[in-house]
Amino acid sequence: MSSPLIEAFELTKQFGSVQALTGLNFKVFPGEIYGLLGPNGAGKTTTIKAIIGLVDPTSGWVKVQGCDPTKNSVKVKSKIGYVAEKPILYESLSARDFLEFVASIRKIDQASVNRVVTQLGDAFDMAEYFDAPIATLSTGMKQKVALISSFVHQPPVLLLDEPLSGLDAKTSRIVKDLLLLHTQKGGAVLFSTHIMEVAESICTRIGIIYEGKIVAEGTLDQLKTKTGNKSETLEEVFLKLTNEEHEVADKTRLLGEAFFKDEVA
Amino acid sequence: MKLLEAWRYSRLPYKEVVYKSIAEEKGRMWWGGFGRGQLGADAQNDYELTKKALRIAKWDKSLVAIFNVLAAIIPFTAQFFGSPILGLTSAISLSLAVTFGFMALYAIQTLSSFVSAESSSLLSTLPLEQRDFSLITLFSFIRSVDYIVVGAILTQVALVAYITASPLVVLVMLVASVMNAVLAVAVALWFSRLFTKNLSRGGRSKGTTVLRLVFILMWGSLLMGVSLLISLPWYIVSSLETTLLSPNQFSNILFCLLHPFSAGLTIANLSSFVTAGSTALIAAVSMVGYVIVTLFAVKWTLKTVKRISTGGDVKLSRVTAKDFSIKTRSPLFGFVLKDLKIASRNPATAFFFALPVLETVIVSFTIANFEVLRASTVLVSTFMGAIFVLLMPLALLGAEGTGLEYTKTLPLDINRIITSKTLISTLTYLPVPIVLLVMALLKPLSSPLLVLIPFFVMLAIASASIFEIQLFLSSVTKGKISALIHDLKKLVIGVTTLLIPLVGYSTVYLASFSHFFAVLSMAWVSVLELVLAFYLLRRNKKIV
Repeated sequence: MSSPLIEAFELTKQFGSVQALTGLNFKVFPGEIYGLLGPNGAGKTTTIKAIIGLVDPTSGWVKVQGCDPTKNSVKVKSKIGYVAEKPILYESLSARDFLEFVASIRKIDQASVNRVVTQLGDAFDMAEYFDAPIATLSTGMKQKVALISSFVHQPPVLLLDEPLSGLDAKTSRIVKDLLLLHTQKGGAVLFSTHIMEVAESICTRIGIIYEGKIVAEGTLDQLKTKTGNKSETLEEVFLKLTNEEHEVADKTRLLGEAFFKDEVA
Repeated sequence: MKLLEAWRYSRLPYKEVVYKSIAEEKGRMWWGGFGRGQLGADAQNDYELTKKALRIAKWDKSLVAIFNVLAAIIPFTAQFFGSPILGLTSAISLSLAVTFGFMALYAIQTLSSFVSAESSSLLSTLPLEQRDFSLITLFSFIRSVDYIVVGAILTQVALVAYITASPLVVLVMLVASVMNAVLAVAVALWFSRLFTKNLSRGGRSKGTTVLRLVFILMWGSLLMGVSLLISLPWYIVSSLETTLLSPNQFSNILFCLLHPFSAGLTIANLSSFVTAGSTALIAAVSMVGYVIVTLFAVKWTLKTVKRISTGGDVKLSRVTAKDFSIKTRSPLFGFVLKDLKIASRNPATAFFFALPVLETVIVSFTIANFEVLRASTVLVSTFMGAIFVLLMPLALLGAEGTGLEYTKTLPLDINRIITSKTLISTLTYLPVPIVLLVMALLKPLSSPLLVLIPFFVMLAIASASIFEIQLFLSSVTKGKISALIHDLKKLVIGVTTLLIPLVGYSTVYLASFSHFFAVLSMAWVSVLELVLAFYLLRRNKKIV
C-alpha cells in the first residue's frame, strides 16, 4: 500500500477547559475521499485546522505527505487546497482580484492558473460575478470562489470543510465529479460534513468523529457490518455508532407531545 | 410599539453594525491572535471575538466622545484669559467646525457598515409593523453616534451659557449645535452611501478604474482636510477672530454665508454687537437658511435610513466578464497589490491614499516661507511629512480584517506580509524627497548635502514600520487600558525611530559645524536602524 497523504496520530487539542480532540488517529491514502462525519462540535473543523497548521496540537501529531505542519507550515500549506466552513475571503476584492492574489502567493505559472480558472469559472457560471466585489455575492457564489481558489494550484490534498453548503444542485454535482477526478489522478480529499447523503454518495471511507475521537472507521459496508444490519442507511449507522439513536427517539417523542399533542390525541 | 421599547430593541441591529465596522475594517482582534503560538482558547472562539469587537467599539466611541468634548471646549479657553467677548465669534465657529469634523469622521467609519451591513436583515424576518421596523432601524442609526453628538451639544451650550448668561443666546446656540450635529451625520451618511455604491459597482473597464481612483483621491483629500481642520483651530483662533470681525472685506461676507461661521457671528452678535449691522443681518439670514437645509437633511436622513433598513438602497449592477484571465505576479508584488486594493476599498483606510498629497502640501508650505533652505528647515519639514506615514502600517494591518483568516491558509512567510506593508508605507513618503529636490532648484541651500536628508528619513520610516508591525504582532492585548498602552507604544517606537537619525544629524552638526559629518552620521544611524529591523525580521520564526 502507498504511503498516506494525510496521517494523524493520537491527535489531541485542548482549548482551555474544552477538550476538542482526544487522541485522534486516521490515515488518508492517495485516491481516497475520506469523509469526516460527526455532529456539530465533534471536532471536525479543529481536525482540519490542525492538518493545515492553523491550530497546534496539544499532543500527538499530524503529517501531510510526511511533512509536519508545526515544523514546516509553509510547505504543508503549499500541498493543500482548503475550503473553510464559512467562506472567509477578502470581501472588497472581486473574484478575479482575489484569485490573482492567491495565484501570485502560490507562485503558479500564468498559463496553468488561467487554464484552471477558465475551466472552473465556466463550469460554475461565474462570468456575471467574476468582477463584482465578493461582498456583493451570495453565499453560494462565495463558496464557488473559495472552491476555485482551493483548486488553482492543483494540490495533492484537498481539505474541504462542508464544501457543498450553499451550492445549487448543478454545482454540487460538478464539485462531486471534480473530487472523483482528483482522486483518480492520485490525489486525496478529506471531506468534512454532517450531511449523510453527501458522505454516502461520494466518500470512499468514512471516519465517524464523536466528542473528539474517531469512534468508527471504514467503508460504508464495513460500518454497516459494525452495527450488524446491512440494510441500514448511513444516518442510522451514524446514530447507532455515536449512541444517539435512543436520544433522537426520546427527543422526537417529547417534541411530538409538546407541539402536536392534540393532533396525536 | 412604544419609543422606549423600540430604543431597547435597536441595540441588536446597532451591535451588528459596530461588530461589522470593527470586525471588517479594523481586524485588530484577528491580528491579536496572530501566530499559532499565541492562539489561546478565546482567540479562536467566535463568541469571545464578538464580545471583544463590541468592547473595542464601546471603547472607541467613548474615546471619540471624550476627544469631541475636548475639541468643543478648546476654542473657548481663550475666553478665560481675556475679555469675555474677545474671541467668542471664532470660538463658537471653531468649536462647531471641529466637532463637525470629529462627528463626520467617526460617523463615516461606522455608517459605512450601517449602509452595507444589512444590519436589520435579522429584524426583517420578524413579524414587525413597517413603522416599528423603521423606528428600530432609525434608533440603531442614532445609537451609532449618540454619546458623541450629545456630548458636543451639551458642552457647547453649557459653555455659551457660562460665558453669556443669556437665555436667548443659549437657545440659538442649542439650535446651532443640533444643526451642526445633524449636518455632520447627514454628510457622513451621504458619503458612506456614495463610497459603498461606488465600490460595489465592480467591473474592470478603464473608465470604471479611473473613476474609482479619482473618487478615492477625492475621498482621501476630503478626510485629510477634515483631519487638518481638527488640528488647526488652536493656532488660528486669534487671527480668525480678526478676519471674522474686520469690516468691508470680501472674506468677511464669505464667512457670513458659511456654516459654522454664520452661526458664530449670529450668536456673538446676539450676545453683544461685535460687527456692523449688515454683517450681523447677513449672518443671521444665512443661519436661518442653514436651519432650513438641516430640516431637509433630517427628512433625507430619515428617508435614507428607512430605505437602507428595507434593503431598497442596494442597487447592484453586474458586468459580465469577457474572460477569466488571471495575471500572476511575484508573491511580494501580489501581496502589495492586494494590500493597496483592500485599503483603497475600505472607507476607514482609503484616505491614506491622499498621504502623498498631504505630505507634499506640508513640506511645500513649511519651506515656502524661507529664503534660504537651512538644515533646521529641512529637518523639521521632513519630520512633519514623515510623522503621518507612521499611521500607515497599522492602518494596512487593520484593513486586512477577516480576510486574514484566508491568508493564514496560504503558504506565506510572515516576513512577506511585514515587507509588503513596510514597502507601501515607505513609498508613500517618496513625494517628500522629490518636493525637496524641486525646492532645492528654486531656492538656495545652506549645503547641497541637505537634499539627502529625506532619503535617509525614508530608511528610518522603513525601520519604524518594521518595528511597529513587529510590536503589533508580538502580543495579544486584553482589556482597554493595555490595548491603549500597546497602541501608544507602537507610535512612541515609530516616532523615536524617526527622530534618532534627525537628532544624530543635529548633534553632530552642533559639535562639528560640518554638514558632511552630520549627513554621514545620519546615514550611519539610519542604516544601523534598518540593519536592526532586518535582523529582527530574520529572527522572526512566527508563521502565519
